[in-house]
Amino acid sequence: MIGNDIVDLDRAARDSNWQRKGYLNKLFTASEQYLIASAPDASIMVWLLWSMKESAYKINSRKTGLRSFAPVKLICDSIIINEHNATGSVSYEGEWYYTRSEFNDAYVHTIASCEQEELQAIKIQITGFYSDYKSSMPQCVSHHGNYLALTYL
Amino acid sequence: MNREEIIARLKPIIKVYVDDKSSLDHLDESTDFIKDLKINSANLVDIVLDVEEEFAIEIDNTAMEKMLSVGASIAVIEQKLADK
Repeated sequence: MIGNDIVDLDRAARDSNWQRKGYLNKLFTASEQYLIASAPDASIMVWLLWSMKESAYKINSRKTGLRSFAPVKLICDSIIINEHNATGSVSYEGEWYYTRSEFNDAYVHTIASCEQEELQAIKIQITGFYSDYKSSMPQCVSHHGNYLALTYL
Repeated sequence: MNREEIIARLKPIIKVYVDDKSSLDHLDESTDFIKDLKINSANLVDIVLDVEEEFAIEIDNTAMEKMLSVGASIAVIEQKLADK
């Protein structure tokens, strides 16, 4: 099972003030907040960690049929960040998800999978939004602001 | 504070984070923030922070987990007001 999440950075900057008092505390663990505080671009780190959590959450909620808003329970770990991509893992109540992310000035996109091998096999297409994307039979879809991220296995 | 009073103070908070304001016309306790109102999940935390300010309560992570709908949020607010 795979899950993905895209963040349109312009849209996120308009809609979310992550510098708001109490905001980071409700979304991120202490060690994640340390990563944000020490990142060269704190904003990118906020949305990178958020998209990791969201992509893992999407798999978990589909698997269990349960929904909740428990971002601090989704714990990002083993993060390796390169210039425009990152890998990591997210754990949630004993379940592990592996993640692969790419980011640039426009967006952050993360895919998550329960299996590392599956993660490597996923094909990603990121485009502007169009409405008949379902005809291409994507495995999972994420839409935010101007961007549509489609993933195929 | 009864449930009607809570909903009347909750509605303007929610409204800020809804793109399609017409979706608020039929707001009731069963209304789901994400499924019905299409609120971005990153804005759920803003709703929680706004609710904390508006009702002068503190919402712990366990209570926040449930706040995906109007009804669940009212229940959390009622509980936290009772605990004060």
